[in-house]
Amino acid sequence: MAESIDIQLKKGVLGFCVLAVLARGENYAYEIAARLSDAIGMGEGTIYPLMRRMQSDGLVETYLVESSSGPSRKYYRLTPQGHEALRAQTEEWRGFSRAVDALLTPSAPLMASQPAPEA
Amino acid sequence: MTRTEFMDRLKRGLNGLSPSTIADITADYEAHFNDAAAAGRSEAEVASALGDPDRLARELRAEAGMKNWETAKTPSSAAGAIAGIIGLGALDVFILLPLLGSVAGALVGFFAASIGVFIGGGVVFAVGPFLPLPGGWIVALLMGIGMMAGATAVGAFTAALTIWLVNGVVWYARLHYKVLKPALDAHA
Repeated sequence: MAESIDIQLKKGVLGFCVLAVLARGENYAYEIAARLSDAIGMGEGTIYPLMRRMQSDGLVETYLVESSSGPSRKYYRLTPQGHEALRAQTEEWRGFSRAVDALLTPSAPLMASQPAPEA
Repeated sequence: MTRTEFMDRLKRGLNGLSPSTIADITADYEAHFNDAAAAGRSEAEVASALGDPDRLARELRAEAGMKNWETAKTPSSAAGAIAGIIGLGALDVFILLPLLGSVAGALVGFFAASIGVFIGGGVVFAVGPFLPLPGGWIVALLMGIGMMAGATAVGAFTAALTIWLVNGVVWYARLHYKVLKPALDAHA
C-alpha cells in the first residue's frame, strides 16, 4: 500500500527533519511542529514526545526567552552532538535517495561497481 | 474537543509521573494552544491536530520511564520502564510477557538463593570454629568465607543479567517504537 510506505518513511525521518529545521535556526516547538506539519504532513502532537526524546539523547537543548506578552517561551537549539547527528544522517539520506532514484530510473545502471555479465 | 478537555485527559494520563515532569509536559501543550490561538486557529482544530491525548500521555509516560531507567538502574525504575513500554503496546504482550515473567522469576530465585547462601556462609563462619568439624576451625572459617564470596558473585552476576535484560527490552521497544505511527495514521 502506498499509505504504509508513506508512514514508515515519515516515521524514520521525523527526527532527522527536526534536526534539519533546527539547523536553519533556533526555534520554539510550535514553529517546528507547524513547519513539519506543512512540509511532510506529520501530526503536530508527535513533536513533543519526539523533542523530549531528542533532548534526553542530548541532540537538542532548550533555553527560555523572555516574552513581552505572556510567559517566557521555550526555544530549542542543536547541541554539537545534534549537529554531528545531522551531518551523518544527511550523508546517509543522500546516499539512500540516490540509490532509490537509480532504481526508479529503468535505464540507469544499478550500481557503478556491478560487474558486467559474462557472455 | 476543547482545550480544557484535552488538557484534562492528558493530565489524567500522565498521573503517576513526577510533578515536575507533568508540569514540564503540560506547559509544552499549553504553550502550543497559546501559540495556535495567536495564529488564529480554533481550540477544536488544534486539539484534533494534536491527536489523541490518552495516546500522547502513554507515549510520554513510556519515554519518561525509559529515561528514568537510563539515568538510575534501580528495581523500581526497571518496573516503571517495562510498565510504560507495555502501556505503549510496543511489546507483544501475549508472546513476550509469559517469557519475561518466567525469566524474571528465575532471576528473583537466583537473588533469593544468593542471599540465603550468603547468610548460611555467615553462620558457618561465625559458628563453625566452635563445632567439632573435621578439619578444624580454619576449614570452617574458609568454608564460611567461600560461601559468602560465592553468593556475592552469583548475586552480582544476577544483577548484571537483570540490567542487561531490561536494557534489551528498552532497546526492543525503541526499535519497534509505535510512538509516531498512530499520529501519522490519524493525519493520513
